[in-house]
Amino acid sequence: MANQKIEVPGAGVLSRPHSRRDFLKTLAAAGIGAAAGGMMLSRPAGAQLGEIKDDIDIANFALTLEFLEAEFYTQAVDAGVLSGSALGVVTNLRDHEIAHAEAIIDLIEQFGGTPVEKPEFTFPPESLASQQGVLELASVLEPTGQGAYIGAGPLIQDPTVLAAAGSIAGVEGEHVVSVRNLLGFVPPTTEAFPAALTVDEVLAAVAPFLGMGEMMDTGGPVAGGTHRPV
Amino acid sequence: MSEARGRIHLAGTRPGLEVSRRNFIKTAAWAGAALAAAGIGGIGWATRYAGAQEGGEPFETYQGLGDAAILQFAYQLELLEGTFYQMGADMGVVSGDALAQIQAIRDHEFAHADALAATLQQLGAEVPATPDFTYPDGVFEDTAAFLDLANTFEPVGIGAYQGAAPALESKEILGAALSIHNSECEHWNGIKILLGIDPPNNVAFEEALPLPQVQEAVAPFGVG
Repeated sequence: MANQKIEVPGAGVLSRPHSRRDFLKTLAAAGIGAAAGGMMLSRPAGAQLGEIKDDIDIANFALTLEFLEAEFYTQAVDAGVLSGSALGVVTNLRDHEIAHAEAIIDLIEQFGGTPVEKPEFTFPPESLASQQGVLELASVLEPTGQGAYIGAGPLIQDPTVLAAAGSIAGVEGEHVVSVRNLLGFVPPTTEAFPAALTVDEVLAAVAPFLGMGEMMDTGGPVAGGTHRPV
Repeated sequence: MSEARGRIHLAGTRPGLEVSRRNFIKTAAWAGAALAAAGIGGIGWATRYAGAQEGGEPFETYQGLGDAAILQFAYQLELLEGTFYQMGADMGVVSGDALAQIQAIRDHEFAHADALAATLQQLGAEVPATPDFTYPDGVFEDTAAFLDLANTFEPVGIGAYQGAAPALESKEILGAALSIHNSECEHWNGIKILLGIDPPNNVAFEEALPLPQVQEAVAPFGVG
């Protein structure tokens, strides 16, 4: 597999309603093939999203995504910009992501691993300034989580870990639909085969919130394995 | 390991689970169905399940069946759902935005079925004949009843894929199954929106179902 640098999309790309379509790899007519193929097993991506070589690494990768989502929704609810159905939906998003993070921490500890610490996250101010801003960033985060779980699943070795991942993965899919519904998509469901994302694609989507976007903006291509942990 | 498994098991504290459980009961009551799991295509599901440990993980009930048998069962579930939505759309039980959603879900279910059939052919396995499905009287003339049944079917599909996934041997098939599983979760949320459940995202963890529970849920509709 080629060494791929982390490509950080600009804000315009991230806020595009159909950005997940860029990631869509429709399963072939046979229904099989694309979903599992693209996961990169080794990514020089810092301490949080580092080398992925076993179930614990995958779980920690997922934990970081859950931390990210939980932090954003916590700030979004606290920002006081939500009302009506959006407040209810986002409050549940927050509670679910927190529950996922707790479950994954338990899982990692049961398997003798060490859960990663919650990183410092930064969010664009506009994403917390209005209900629309919250929902638009949510519409980026949720398909990212959904695609990450679908992509990671086939790499998981232990069936109990896979079972736990499956119970979380589907909830991210539900989240996608609830958020799209609030944004006015009719129908809010997406496609018959929600796309798997590679580690690179997930990293590209979340890097800006991990402080990695700045690094990318100034540095151009980053040599594999040499940049500092966030 | 059993203690660890108990902690990993994510069921039990989920606020929204009541919904699906209640619907299973309702479904079974409608048909007067008891444990009607007769087995699919003589594969001997019930027999194999008898060997699984009581209280084990749901995926254990799918282990040993083989990928083809799991896909054959999933194929029938997709047809059960797709036909249901097809009939609902054709008979005008929903309209407007709700019709658009039901048509989209219908198309997804048939796309899933097509993908599963193609995969079975690749595996050299038989594609099951379309079962002669039975749906409750009047369900296509009563919007609430129709959506209520949809609200039963979707968690069954979710639970089946989620339960079966760790038992799949092919990682490629697993990748596809996880994508389809997620699509079913999207559908469930879409149905909950149509039912006016607010917020619709009301479960923190999806529930995997053991095979016998899935069989019991769908037997009244002609699967099995």
